[in-house]
Amino acid sequence: MAYEAPITDYDHIVENCTCAFCGCNCDDLDYLVKDGHVVAVRHACRLGASKIMEDLDQRLLVPMVRDDDGELKEVDWDTALDKAAEYIANSIRPIFYGWSETSIECMKEGVALGEYIGAVLDNQATICHGPSLLAVQNAGYPVQTLGEVQSRADMCVFSGSNPMNSHPRHLARYSVFCRGYFRTRGRFDRTVVTMDPKFTDTAKVSDLWVGFEQNGDYGFYNAIRAVLKGKELYQDVISGIPREDIYELAEAMKNAEFGTLFFGLGLTHTLSKQRSIDIAIKMIIDLNKFTKWGLTPMRGHFNVNGFNIFMAFESGFPLGVDYCRGYPRFLSGETNTIDLLTRGECDVFMVVAADPGAHYPNGAVQHLAKIPVIQVDIHWGPSTEIADVVLPGSFIGVECGGTSYRMDGVPIYMKKAIDKPETCRDDEWIIRELKERVMKLREEPNVAPKYVPNPAAL
Amino acid sequence: MEYILKNGIVFDPTNNVKGEKKDVMFKDGKIVEQVSDDAKVLDVTDKLVMPAGIDPHAHIAGPKLVVGRMYRPEDSRRGATQKTSVIRGESGFSIPSCPATGYRYSRMGYGTVVEAAMPPLEGKHTHEEICAIPNIDVPALPLFGNNWFVFEFAKENKIDELAAFISSWLKITKGYGVKIVNPCGSEAWGWGKNVHGFDDKPPYFDVTSREVVKALAKANEKLGLPHSIHIHPNDLGHPGNVPTTLETLDSIKDVKKNAGVRDQTIHCCHLQFHAYQGNSWKDASSGAEEIAKYINSTDHVTCDVGQVTLDETTTMTADAPMEYDLYKLSGLKWVNKDIEFETAAGIIPVIYSAKSPVNTLQWAIGLELFLHIDDPWKVCLTTDHPNAGPFQRYPRIMSWLMSNTRRMEMIENGEVHKWVNSRTTLPTIDREYDFNDIAIISRAAPAKIYGFEDRGALTPGYNADIAVYDIKPNEIDPSKEYEAIEKGFSLTDYTIKDGKILVKDKEIVQVKKSRTIWTNVMGLEKEEQAVIDGIMPFFNQYYSVKWENYPVHDHYLSDPIRVDVQASK
Amino acid sequence: MHYANTYLEKPVVPDVKINKEGSVDVLKCMLNTGSDIYQGACKKRGSTLKEEYKNASGTCYMDPRDMEKLGVNNWDTVLVKTDWGEVVVSAAASRDAPHEGQVFICKGPWANTVVSAETYCCIDPTYKGIHCTVEKTDKKVLLMADLMRKNYKKWVDEDDDEVLENMPSLGELPVFKRKEQED
Repeated sequence: MAYEAPITDYDHIVENCTCAFCGCNCDDLDYLVKDGHVVAVRHACRLGASKIMEDLDQRLLVPMVRDDDGELKEVDWDTALDKAAEYIANSIRPIFYGWSETSIECMKEGVALGEYIGAVLDNQATICHGPSLLAVQNAGYPVQTLGEVQSRADMCVFSGSNPMNSHPRHLARYSVFCRGYFRTRGRFDRTVVTMDPKFTDTAKVSDLWVGFEQNGDYGFYNAIRAVLKGKELYQDVISGIPREDIYELAEAMKNAEFGTLFFGLGLTHTLSKQRSIDIAIKMIIDLNKFTKWGLTPMRGHFNVNGFNIFMAFESGFPLGVDYCRGYPRFLSGETNTIDLLTRGECDVFMVVAADPGAHYPNGAVQHLAKIPVIQVDIHWGPSTEIADVVLPGSFIGVECGGTSYRMDGVPIYMKKAIDKPETCRDDEWIIRELKERVMKLREEPNVAPKYVPNPAAL
Repeated sequence: MEYILKNGIVFDPTNNVKGEKKDVMFKDGKIVEQVSDDAKVLDVTDKLVMPAGIDPHAHIAGPKLVVGRMYRPEDSRRGATQKTSVIRGESGFSIPSCPATGYRYSRMGYGTVVEAAMPPLEGKHTHEEICAIPNIDVPALPLFGNNWFVFEFAKENKIDELAAFISSWLKITKGYGVKIVNPCGSEAWGWGKNVHGFDDKPPYFDVTSREVVKALAKANEKLGLPHSIHIHPNDLGHPGNVPTTLETLDSIKDVKKNAGVRDQTIHCCHLQFHAYQGNSWKDASSGAEEIAKYINSTDHVTCDVGQVTLDETTTMTADAPMEYDLYKLSGLKWVNKDIEFETAAGIIPVIYSAKSPVNTLQWAIGLELFLHIDDPWKVCLTTDHPNAGPFQRYPRIMSWLMSNTRRMEMIENGEVHKWVNSRTTLPTIDREYDFNDIAIISRAAPAKIYGFEDRGALTPGYNADIAVYDIKPNEIDPSKEYEAIEKGFSLTDYTIKDGKILVKDKEIVQVKKSRTIWTNVMGLEKEEQAVIDGIMPFFNQYYSVKWENYPVHDHYLSDPIRVDVQASK
Repeated sequence: MHYANTYLEKPVVPDVKINKEGSVDVLKCMLNTGSDIYQGACKKRGSTLKEEYKNASGTCYMDPRDMEKLGVNNWDTVLVKTDWGEVVVSAAASRDAPHEGQVFICKGPWANTVVSAETYCCIDPTYKGIHCTVEKTDKKVLLMADLMRKNYKKWVDEDDDEVLENMPSLGELPVFKRKEQED
């Protein structure tokens, strides 16, 4: 990359803004603002800087509705909102998907609309850490805030996760390089292990790379657990790793003062899905018999954890919450988006601050090509190519304030730094408008005439 | 709008009203002495009327609650109910969703519930959930007992600075009072360890649990906060923890009280879990009598019980090492959540079974505490929801307290394990609570203990928070009709909150927004700034959020109730 | 106005020089998909219509030994086939090599074409660990909009992939009817 001269021509700096990219939610960003635009950003990583220095060519600025020729056509807000509300009001099995790149405040409107009409509310966890949530439901969830890791951890393990690419400041700000209260020399006071079939950029900065074979994660963790329980390993090589190395690693993990396992999509996207995470969690729980260990799922979007938290306190379930019966329910394989789409169940799909066109497998997007798709987002993306109604939102953490939850569950208020483009609206406003319009178009379905208590709760 | 609740049998212990047939009047959300002829008459002839209930210690909102809901879909499914034109769909049994929490308390005639543990770093989260709970007011108690700054002040006995710190942190977190959980123990858990007893130190800190508790109590009284320190002592749930509990309570006896609104200087929560004799579960027995004796002989201690209800529930506490101990016993799925420099938390599902000797012992100890503590103003009704059981079991506990017949039936029929005979004194107690006692332990005493001056009684000028139960106190024999008592206390005829009728004829007819109650100490602004300046270098270097992002902004409060306190210098 | 620039036309990849024809026509591999920093930066900046996204997401990262077997150099095009579909992407040497027998395509519409939607009732589709074949091709890598048109055909009547591939490109900028055009 060519040398870039630093930006010196700006009006003012807005300090301590929160990055709206990954689950690190770095809240120390400084925006350089000129004429109401962010012209540069300090402290952000390449990912964060890139998002905040958005591509204005592709910024969604006007509401659009697909016309008879199949082309998107600019319309006024009323027309677009009415069209979207009409789709939702007439739907039988709507899914409202996304939410991980918007605020909790917007989700509140979303859940109100979803409960009213009987929709399924789901977020990007359904294509990233969904199996982690299932594993948490199976095995438990020993976690800690990232400040704990910074100050205490002397061993950090990254498994199926490559933060140097996906959470670039994680190592510097929270886990590895940073100096902590008990780790005054930072990186030198920590042992860093990366477990990944590939020699990733994170493996390259680690002390130890455990390159277990593809789909070998379950077997590998199983072997570590066996060693922790004092068992002997009979195979010479397990999941591609020599037995001696497993003994050595288990011993090192037992002797750490405070260890943390960070795991990513390498564990959730493979064939064994939540089973790999089940056993990783069990391994961490076992380790606590010897010393202190915790874990943290490396959540991708800045508010993907927020949606799971928000839905859990609103409905009792973290994702794939189906309101079609007038009460919240969740079952994996039944109420999660990908399965609803591949079975062809959904009849209207609203995507809020997400891009299924870019990240769903073909088999699921095929169904989106058959049904009305409403998009609320800030950029023209693959989902716009299959959208019937496009509603331009605003950029949380830059143009609009709002709450998000970091990967470790710490709530952050992402403040507003500049005004949004005049023609855009806040996500929260858009969803509230849709809700009000849907309420006018259709009487609330699935309302019990009388409260009937659930005998199991009495 | 004016209302008159006519001809009810009123129990209002604060005003010494014990079952009088009288009218209760309210206007524009407040209790009044008189209303005009236009007042709407609500006929409650011969029905039981009390101030709305106050739960002094429950876990209903915050980061550990949400993990509980997230990881126990089996519990969420257990409480699913369909939405109506008034209320949203519900879910959950021991960890109900936020809407369900509000509705269920409302149906039982409760109006105020204290969220007993708020980690300051995640205070925003707690307040977000409070906003999502309808119908009840929720003060939250921030956690101080394992805070590093507190350790420093306590070690050097800097009570003035500590007081300024508390005052400042109550503003920052929008908290109500000082909560202490396993002081020093949760910090030790940062290294997978615990402290043992009241004079132990966590690794790397030269400070004992005793020093922390005493310093916090002194600072609390220096500020004259409406609530005393609220403590979950060390060694929770360990057989043989009675000495630790008594030492903890006794360590505060010389601290001078500095608040007229309350009598105590220390409130000990879920005392049942801290009243075990013996050396292990094999030889464990009840320590309730000894502890009750201490409480009866002093006047600086109040408590709530944490009554075991013999249900499948979810335990969750900032006493994280204890939760890991529970995990080792049961092997059920374990949650841990450590919060940097402040606290920790653990969660584990628990099945309290009447067939289990230990669970029976716990059940009996709770009841013993209620029955051995002579003055009901010193003891409150809680299950430490959801730890010893879900809050919707309060009516059942009331029925146990009011009926020796029922208790003996359970003991003699073998409904509970025979340990109840050999290890507790429960079979020997024939005391029965009356309606006045019930009104004290479930509303009047908690109000007094928290220094509430706007609720918990039917005093003119107070909030019109009223519960009317379908129980006719003059006709029922609670000792024999315990089932009717439980049923009657489960669903109100009326729940009135701030003058609004929320429940009518056992159905929720209206939903209102919850409010949080927080304590604003005035007059220490300079001292607070000095304390913040002093800790800022540490904060900037080690906390994982920016200072700007630390406080609970007003954005997270809906219509809060601010209790102003003038600090004495 | 001078904005800080975060554009990067192509990901930086290790140099490889492969002069040989290659020893196999079709290479059997294990396909993984996921994100890397180039894909992440480009996607979230919103530049999904651009060449940059095509290069960041529509690229198959290979072990140089596999490239040699197939006889492909950086930015040659290859056809990746799985049980779920086939897609033309660029080939490039992997920064994470060695991982012989494994190829990596960043998530995006190109990868979506060939990954499995099967969740096995475990919520997530199977984005990783998919058997695939890689072969040389003369076809070009489609831009995002063109690929979406070809794959999902939501707004075209044509269903012949060959025809769709050769339709005029939708280009690198949003295409929609603006209000003022009408007036």
